Amino acid sequence: MTSPPQPADGALDLPTLEVEGELDLAVAPWLRDQLDALYVGGADSIVVDLSAATFLDSTALGVLVSALNRSRERGGRVHLIVQEPQILRVLTITGLQDEFALHKDRAELQQRKGEQ
Amino acid sequence: MAHDYMTEGEVRTSEREVIEISIPGSVDLVVLARFTAATIGARASFDLDEIDDLRLAVDELSVSFGPLDADTRLRYTFLREGDTVNVRCTREPSDEGGDGGTGHSERDLIDWQQARELSAQLLDELVTTHGREIAHGRSVAWLTKRRGAVAG
Repeated sequence: MTSPPQPADGALDLPTLEVEGELDLAVAPWLRDQLDALYVGGADSIVVDLSAATFLDSTALGVLVSALNRSRERGGRVHLIVQEPQILRVLTITGLQDEFALHKDRAELQQRKGEQ
Repeated sequence: MAHDYMTEGEVRTSEREVIEISIPGSVDLVVLARFTAATIGARASFDLDEIDDLRLAVDELSVSFGPLDADTRLRYTFLREGDTVNVRCTREPSDEGGDGGTGHSERDLIDWQQARELSAQLLDELVTTHGREIAHGRSVAWLTKRRGAVAG
């Protein structure tokens, strides 16, 4: 079943959205609204935590790509925290795995940010 | 009868099965098509990755029609022949009449051109063949996936 995505817990120092369940056409409009809200404060880079997401289709991916374009226009990046093989496969098939900044968990993201 | 039960936990499926489902044009019901796809994939002896691919591919058939609305239905016909699964998704007018209560948020908030392009990329890789056609005046999206086959 599709679980309603959940809001972020704010554990990272970038605007973060944490989602869970199946990200499909039913969820994509909600996802877009939530990502729009992350940019309200003028953020350039954001984090989308997909650790608890189990499915990603082209409509939800398209929403993430729109966020990617928005961040790039501001000189920022979109960080995705993702481990689910199906989601990684979608990113690979569409050639987007190198466009997003991919991290296996929050600790890895924090570590990489610390190294920059 | 679609199958003969053998020993506990073991099911011998027939060589050919047809399963049809029809859902209202409501985005939160497409999950039913994905669930059916997973079941059919398992009966075709697909491995777990192939089942995941079939689930996503069937979802993408739905995306290929663009925004769904309440005055349409999606009819999925799943045909399994041995280790090959064929799926046809037909967009049909609904006899029930719509209340206009669905489809607007997707229509307004989704970049459908972008979604279709991504969807085509995914389908190219996920299934053996796929396409779209007009049959009896209705729009049809279809796919074929064969166990162990290289996509494309």
